[in-house]
Amino acid sequence: MSLGLRGLRSESLLPGTSACPGCPENMAMRMVGMALGKNVAMVVVAGCSSVIQGIGPKNAYGYPVLNIAFAAGPAAASGMWRAFKQRNKDVTVVVWAGDGGTADIGFASLSGAAERNEDFIYLCVDNEAYMNSGGQRSGSTPHGAVTTTTPEGKKENKKELLFIMLDHNVPYVATASVGYPHDLMDKLKRAKEVNGFRYIQILTPDPYGWLFDPSKTAEVGKLAVQTCYWPLIEVMNGKVRVSNESLHCLKKETRRPLKDFLSVQGRYKKLPERDYLELEKFVDDLWERIISMS
Amino acid sequence: MMKIISGNEAVALAVKLARVGVVGIYPITPQTTIIEELAEMRARGEISTDVVRVESEHSAMGVTLGAAVSGVRAFTATSSQGLLYMHEMVWWAAGSRAPIVMVVATRAVGAPWNIWNENTDFMSERDSGWIMAFASSPQEALDLTLQAFRISEDPRVFVPMMVGMDGFILSHTKTNVYIPSQEDVDAFIPPRRQPYVIDPETQESMGNIFQPVHYMKLRQSINDAIADSKDVIREVGREYEKINPLADYKTLNVEYKLEDADYAVVTMGAWSLDAMEAVDRLRERGISVGLYRVRYVRPWAEDEILRALGDKKGVIVFDRATSLGRGGPLYLEVKASLNNPVKGVVAGLGGVSMNKRDFMEAISTSIEEMKRGSFREVTWYYPSEVKEVELGTPRSAI
Ligand code: SF4
Repeated sequence: MSLGLRGLRSESLLPGTSACPGCPENMAMRMVGMALGKNVAMVVVAGCSSVIQGIGPKNAYGYPVLNIAFAAGPAAASGMWRAFKQRNKDVTVVVWAGDGGTADIGFASLSGAAERNEDFIYLCVDNEAYMNSGGQRSGSTPHGAVTTTTPEGKKENKKELLFIMLDHNVPYVATASVGYPHDLMDKLKRAKEVNGFRYIQILTPDPYGWLFDPSKTAEVGKLAVQTCYWPLIEVMNGKVRVSNESLHCLKKETRRPLKDFLSVQGRYKKLPERDYLELEKFVDDLWERIISMS
Repeated sequence: MMKIISGNEAVALAVKLARVGVVGIYPITPQTTIIEELAEMRARGEISTDVVRVESEHSAMGVTLGAAVSGVRAFTATSSQGLLYMHEMVWWAAGSRAPIVMVVATRAVGAPWNIWNENTDFMSERDSGWIMAFASSPQEALDLTLQAFRISEDPRVFVPMMVGMDGFILSHTKTNVYIPSQEDVDAFIPPRRQPYVIDPETQESMGNIFQPVHYMKLRQSINDAIADSKDVIREVGREYEKINPLADYKTLNVEYKLEDADYAVVTMGAWSLDAMEAVDRLRERGISVGLYRVRYVRPWAEDEILRALGDKKGVIVFDRATSLGRGGPLYLEVKASLNNPVKGVVAGLGGVSMNKRDFMEAISTSIEEMKRGSFREVTWYYPSEVKEVELGTPRSAI
């Protein structure tokens, strides 16, 4: 099925990046360009995207980029938008960080910037592990997933960044998946109109860490949503809105079995039943919380 | 205008006079009153500086760097553990060649906890790629901070600059300080210049992966900019004398009664004044000694040092810092510049106070040793009243 996006050029991504084939981060970056337009300054923290942009002094992103140390993205963006304000420039500042940079090493500065309600958009491209260093577990890796540092499957659940960020009471929090580009772009456009701290966590299924065929990235991104493993929601001014693609998750009976999402990934190849149940409970709890909020 | 203020107040005034755009701040003793003062200035409406109260020193430098590369003048201050926590970003700022000014109110580094003065925190950043000056009075803290904006934003430099001052001894002690007028400072510090600005209009990017040879070239360019900044520093110093008639910044470092001296003492920071008094007294007793005060750790003024100290019979370097297992960093630097005998004395760590008499004793004993021709290269000096202190040795595991 065509999404109606083919052929649409995005100036956020110039030809010739160093991304792997089927890279979900490249997909997300293209959508950012389509939704936010040109007037963007970006802070990229350590991760695949520090590499994807290619070798300096040239850059394959169509944005001015400040590459920065792992834990410093939200802080640098705080200084950046304040500088633009002093220079009377209306620029959308965007932080681009992976799940490790967000859930683990960069969490203090993320939380600090959220508490101060800094005026920028924070994008967490969540591929659920440290993919740039070869696929080690992060705080965002889900239960049972095999990574290079959890060869026996991760024992703990994925850190609930969505709820943690909601608890910061910032003006805008959303989740998205590269499997549903229109939903993501709508959210980016809405976020652009909001003042203050905005957080969007984008599920970016990684063919190399999740072990599926690189041609299937979008499909896996969809399966995550269809099986309700990954919610598509948006919280603005305290109001929760569940995207159409996720509405069926509000009732347990209408959810597609989680197995359909897990079985296409190599990292869940040998998942014991007990861990499967744990994951199912994780999804049930997730939706119970979302329902209780709406 | 003369005013009785502390070193920290002097620094805050310099930030105000330099019309800094963004300050990223996090409290740590003994730097804290700098940021409190700035916050109050902001609350009183005296400055339009955006004061960002962040959640850590790592973020303080992150905010400062983000603002600096986006085109505004930026400042931060820290101490001790805070500087160490910020260390990664200190390097990131240097590698980005972002003009930034930072003040370090020096303090010992734990463990164990110790809030008193020592210069090890400051000295441990000397490989990071910043220009590094060290004040010996609240006046100098103000002067050097103002000059730091000029120096770091000079197109021949474009490297961040930090100014050190002894925690509590300068940061919290009030003395008479000459404060230049706003008009004079405006004339002295031109609007911010920098080689590249993150801006959708210019599309500059910074910091992505470099090929090895480009990386090495960049490192060399920072090295050369720092090494070559000596002329800029002297030039800025001479110009500064126009806005502070009492100032003398023609040279990087400062000489005291050195010309006719056989022996030289090298110091840095606040205790230099005690050491100078000791020199006066020793001279009264017929000991031919002078003093050399290091004001710039980076760039290292090898030319000035050779000229001032190269012909001395002996040079005694006092360090309020250590490279543990070796000697004091200042001693190592001085020794590397000279061929004549150099002795290092580690003293005053973690707030152990050194008065004039202690300096007299340490200097005269060192000179005696050097005269005899056999001297310990590095000694740890304890003032007479604490000499008997002993630390229990850790018990063996077996
Ligand atoms: S490892 Fe994954 S996220 Fe990183 S470049 Fe490759 S496909 Fe993209």
